[in-house]
Amino acid sequence: MGNSLRVLISHLEYVEPILCGMLIFFLVRSKAARQFSYLVALLCVRLGCSLICLPLLYFCARGIERHMAYQAYFYVYWTSYALEAILSLLVIYSIFKLAMAPLKGLQTLGMLIFRWVAAISVAVAIGVAVTPHLTGIHFMIAMITQLQQTSSILTLCLLLFVCFAIRPMGLSYNSRIFGVSLGLGILATVSLVDAAWLTHSPNMYSTISLVNGLAVGITLLMWSAYFAFPEPKRRIIVLPTTSPFLRWNQISMALGDDPGFVAVGGIPPELFAPAELEVMRRASAKMTPALETPVGMHSLSA
Amino acid sequence: MKTIIRAFVAVLVLSGAVATTQTSSASTQNKVDVARTSMLPIPSCPPDDPNACGMADGR
Repeated sequence: MGNSLRVLISHLEYVEPILCGMLIFFLVRSKAARQFSYLVALLCVRLGCSLICLPLLYFCARGIERHMAYQAYFYVYWTSYALEAILSLLVIYSIFKLAMAPLKGLQTLGMLIFRWVAAISVAVAIGVAVTPHLTGIHFMIAMITQLQQTSSILTLCLLLFVCFAIRPMGLSYNSRIFGVSLGLGILATVSLVDAAWLTHSPNMYSTISLVNGLAVGITLLMWSAYFAFPEPKRRIIVLPTTSPFLRWNQISMALGDDPGFVAVGGIPPELFAPAELEVMRRASAKMTPALETPVGMHSLSA
Repeated sequence: MKTIIRAFVAVLVLSGAVATTQTSSASTQNKVDVARTSMLPIPSCPPDDPNACGMADGR
């Protein structure tokens, strides 16, 4: 790889914390930090990782022994990566929840399915990593790899859903929910391409680093633009009565209802309060003549 | 505009799907083959790499 590209990558590293800081500022200023709290947490992890890793990269050729610097860099980088993999799942979850907010029934059903898929993904990630020859750091890397790939695939599924079902949810392409989903989709795709690339080229400074840098830069700038400008209001959702969204929403709302319970027998009188017993005694006293009346009529007719 | 955005999303998803098929399982290899999308260089060698993964070369 050319020397100029190396220099470009080494300069690009310093841009990421600046962009992250700028985006956090815009999120807080637009009062969207609470709504997108997991995204803020994700950005804070990235910012923290950059603030630790950049001095290591800078000083590795200027005093710190390079093997020691690489080990520290390796563990900080992959620890933040593991945190990001978990936070990415939570970001997708929160975005789905926000996108489906007007359709409460589908939101509840979708979140239930999402939780199951996430739990199965984690179980599969652990299951894939549990092999006899994988221990310690290799076990962790194998598990995180699988988790990250699952998270990337889930992100792309979310992006597809938000993109093609944007109208029934009252969103537009200017909505922050779409912007965040698109950015996450770009990062997920680049991450999957990276994983395929690195199988062939295990070096810290390769062309893929430049692609990574550009993808992250574009995504962070795009998110900054979405949060720097006011968001257009959600449209009123008008669905035809035959819409499957409406039908499924009604069905999903009915699915979550708690059933009522009726006591049919075996109830000891001590369970009732004295006032309740009194009410029942009076009610039965009123009902007794009414029950006896047909008998009387029967005797008269006889 | 709508078509362009939908086409872009479709390209992203297809690229991701193709890349997934090209990724060999990390459990079968004793090296790092996963990437966190970041501007920082990826430490793709084991932590005890004798060359420190070329860390000082890029400086």
